[in-house]
Amino acid sequence: MIPLLSVTGLAKSYQGVRAVDGVSFEMHANEIVGIIGPNGSGKSTTVDCITGFQTADAGDVRMEGAPLQALAAWQIARAGLMRTFQTVRVYEQLTLEENLLAAMAQFDATNWLDALFRTPRLRAADSSARARARTLINMAGLTRYHDAPVGILSYGQKKLVALISALMPKPRLVILDEPVAGVNPTRIREIEAALRLLRDEGETFLIIEHNMDFIMNLCDRVIVFDQGRKLTEGTPAAVHADARVLEAYLGVRP
Amino acid sequence: MGRSKQLEAAGVVIAVALLIFLPRVSSDYVVGIAITAFTFTVAAAALNLVYGYGGLLSFAQLAFWGIGGYCTALWVMDAGGSFWTGLALAAGLNAVLAIAVGWPALRLHRDSFVIVTLAFSLLTFLVARDWVGLTRGPLGLPGLPAPTLFGTKLASTQSIYYLSLAFLVASLGVLYAIVTSRIGRTLLALKQNQPLGLAHGVSPTPYKLFAFAVSAALTGMAGGIQVFYLKIVDPSILDFYYIQAWLIMVIIGGAGTFWGVVIAGLVMAALPEVLRFSNELRMVIYGAILVVAVLALPQGIAGWLRERRIARLRATIERA
Ligand SMILES: Nc1ncnc2c1ncn2[C@@H]1O[C@H](COP(=O)(O)OP(=O)(O)OP(=O)(O)O)[C@@H](O)[C@H]1O
Ligand SMILES: [Mg+2]
Repeated sequence: MIPLLSVTGLAKSYQGVRAVDGVSFEMHANEIVGIIGPNGSGKSTTVDCITGFQTADAGDVRMEGAPLQALAAWQIARAGLMRTFQTVRVYEQLTLEENLLAAMAQFDATNWLDALFRTPRLRAADSSARARARTLINMAGLTRYHDAPVGILSYGQKKLVALISALMPKPRLVILDEPVAGVNPTRIREIEAALRLLRDEGETFLIIEHNMDFIMNLCDRVIVFDQGRKLTEGTPAAVHADARVLEAYLGVRP
Repeated sequence: MGRSKQLEAAGVVIAVALLIFLPRVSSDYVVGIAITAFTFTVAAAALNLVYGYGGLLSFAQLAFWGIGGYCTALWVMDAGGSFWTGLALAAGLNAVLAIAVGWPALRLHRDSFVIVTLAFSLLTFLVARDWVGLTRGPLGLPGLPAPTLFGTKLASTQSIYYLSLAFLVASLGVLYAIVTSRIGRTLLALKQNQPLGLAHGVSPTPYKLFAFAVSAALTGMAGGIQVFYLKIVDPSILDFYYIQAWLIMVIIGGAGTFWGVVIAGLVMAALPEVLRFSNELRMVIYGAILVVAVLALPQGIAGWLRERRIARLRATIERA
């Protein structure tokens, strides 16, 4: 079976700093895979290279066998790979609903003329996008902010907005860079449950996170990064029991 | 939502009705001021599309205004064409120029757009002044004839006024349709957070070029109407005064807010004329207003109102 995402020998240096140093892994549809690792171990850089926000120095990234390297970030998104950012990104002055609609706008069969002349096709696409936005907003517990500019929300709430924005077009793969950093613990358990539910409906997730409980509860498989390399990979239980993982986090080298 | 749309529609109907009525109760002097106010407002609203919505500070608007003026005038005077095809030609030429200038400028850094568009306006001024064979140089083309419509000469100030008013309504209609569409929302989204836009599958360049080309076409037609009102086009049509005025209208009205800029345009174009400042004094006063506005109201009046609305909204949500 062709993997949904395959990364082979990915490498990226910033002015001599080897941020990512030969990383390879695969993902299959319907999995939830976690990436953990100490600060600066190259997790975000790996995601940036996969999604076209950075150009890798070497390596190969494929989605269902099709190479992604030559594509621009927006083309990779349109191919069905949505991502969030570690430092939260939202459209601050747009309302919550507008944020979600903007995330969806490139994914229906309407064109510019539909948009300018408000054709029936556009209105149909718009109303189904609004319905989906409402569902996700309710799911995230942000119902009362539906028409509020997202700028007034807290950091944790904006993280939720970024997350549900990425879910809007039902992408084939969602990459989340620290989705629950700064989110309160009750809400984290709700997100956990929601992501599991979405997975059951067919969604696939790659999640970078420092929150161990979250990763261990949610993921089918965990990849551990250290100094730009893949240290190990396995089930949450196996990774948890691996002495090298603790060493990496504590900075102790054998 | 529905209510504010109704208010908007009512406001537009009343304003247009009043403007249709204006020449019946005013002197030619006032009507002439209104003509300029209309062309300026279109130019400001077009600048608002590129800058307020698209986030691109374009100094090329001045060139588009001048090119629109020269193109229409030369088409009528040298090619013997009609004023109307001249206007259409000005719009088309400007749209093509906008894409030709904008495409390479957007591939460079964001700030380079400012420099490239500024250079384009300066270059256009040099062409207007120095390419005597084409533009007649500093003397320009005086004695532009009145446009004719269905065999009738639009010779009076009043008839130019109605032409200018019709152009204002049509242009604002086009701009309103754009900024309230998905395209307008995508432009605002890109301005607020371009990397997020990329992550949402937006290719920025077509959106920005579209905004730039539409603004160029409308500004060019505004320039064409303006020179046929003045009955002369010369290199002073490329005076920096114009772009300075439009920038102030956009900033005071609130970049990225449609009606704020339209109202600021109409009021600010008319006020100094009505108050009878000399041209030099007007430049100084405009400059002072610009400095004060940028310092005190960085988001414009509409932006300030929006902030207050948000503060109220935050208070009600927190109380709930
Ligand atoms: N744009 C950049 N320019 C220069 N160096 C960078 C850049 N981005 C990351 N780095 C460096 O690359 C290395 C890997 O950073 P990266 O952000 O990928 O780590 P991370 O695993 O995501 O860390 P964290 O858990 O803190 O988010 C670090 O040494 C970092 O300083
Ligand atoms: Mg990171």
